Amino acid sequence: MIELEGIRHHILAIPRLSLEKGRTAVIGANGSGKTTLLELCAGIAVPHRGNVLIDGRGPRSCEVGWVCEFPDRNLLFERVGDEIASPLRFRHVEEAVIRERVACISEHLAISHLLERRTRDLSGGEKALVSLATASITHPQVLVIDEADSHLDAATAARTYDLVEEVQAPYMLYCTQDMHHAAAADHVLYLAQGRICAYGPPDAVFSALRKTCFYPPLWRLDQCR
Amino acid sequence: MQVTLADIRFSRDDWRLEADADFGRGIHFVAGAVGSGKSTLALIMAGLIAPDEGSVVRDGMNAAMLSLQFPESHVTGWTVEEEVRSWGLEPATVLRDVNLAEKAGTRPLELSRGELKRLELACILALKSELLILDEPFCSLDCVQKRTLCRRLAERTAGITIIFSHEQYILPAVDTVWEMKEGRLVNHGTVPHALEVWGDTAPLHIRWAVARGIHPANIRIEDVQEAACRTCD
Repeated sequence: MIELEGIRHHILAIPRLSLEKGRTAVIGANGSGKTTLLELCAGIAVPHRGNVLIDGRGPRSCEVGWVCEFPDRNLLFERVGDEIASPLRFRHVEEAVIRERVACISEHLAISHLLERRTRDLSGGEKALVSLATASITHPQVLVIDEADSHLDAATAARTYDLVEEVQAPYMLYCTQDMHHAAAADHVLYLAQGRICAYGPPDAVFSALRKTCFYPPLWRLDQCR
Repeated sequence: MQVTLADIRFSRDDWRLEADADFGRGIHFVAGAVGSGKSTLALIMAGLIAPDEGSVVRDGMNAAMLSLQFPESHVTGWTVEEEVRSWGLEPATVLRDVNLAEKAGTRPLELSRGELKRLELACILALKSELLILDEPFCSLDCVQKRTLCRRLAERTAGITIIFSHEQYILPAVDTVWEMKEGRLVNHGTVPHALEVWGDTAPLHIRWAVARGIHPANIRIEDVQEAACRTCD
């Protein structure tokens, strides 16, 4: 469980929340606190008040992978292979092990052909996949993806979503404005003005949102038929 | 009033872009995958980068207004209020309209991404430019804000509006559909005929409708819903 208790941090006010293992999609209006919540769970920020525990430990004591909304802002190295290897190199892992892990994750995400390319020459979708590979190479306990789909076209986003499934992190948290992508998660968390308005399986959360524009648009069309 | 792209060619390493087209009054929608050249074409149309060959002719209008994909590229003010003033606008009215009145003293880059996008779009739309070019205006906006933007665009009855976007669900009614495909700007024609020939980069609900033999009047999801329910009845 990821447990949040007594959280007061910027706009967020969460008395108590337990997030189950699996994929959790965080949805809500702009400024509702989605990124802030993800930052707390990733340990990027420490709450002004309250606690976050991931299976009993603070996020900064856990292995966490983070994919930013703008993947190129996280890119540090010129060569794709060096970028993906960087979290392991920073830990002085043996080079032979690093090579094997880079080859393995790249094959998994179908980006082996990019390893020798320059990171700045990649397309938006390729950057998102390289970011995902870099965030996943340490086998994180928690993988956090902050709206990385908002700058991708539908086909690239769909391919990225499929490949995200290949990364087997015990906890995966992502926020998105694509409600069909949110509906594919195991759990959906709906935030409004920093408060949790709904948390549960996608069907239950979205049926409560039926009268809002957060309801997945194509579901309405299917019902019409 | 017309914008003409006369045999435009632009290349960078082994990537090429070609466009030969006329954009008349009304709302134009330009689709295309990431990396297909939408943003580059938007910059060329706005006169911010020069093509290698060909020219952009703006007939019967003054300067173009371009909304860049990343809103932080527009920021010049230290506070939200100053930012609105930098566009030559009165902050009180603009901020009330976009529900950011409480954030007048906040630094623009401290707003959430969606809030900043909606602030910049509000300023740009308030200027009522004759040629308005919007690069990914829906990116980062939530569904409520996307709908508001669609309403604002529908209120623009004069001038030429060109929307470059990969938005899949919440769209305004448009007049003409274009696509950046394999480095070329392709004209799919006027709506509703364009919807039948659009193909893979069409919004999901359009592809959903076309696959079922449903003929929506325009690209909005409401148009598909109306056509689908009519067929159903």
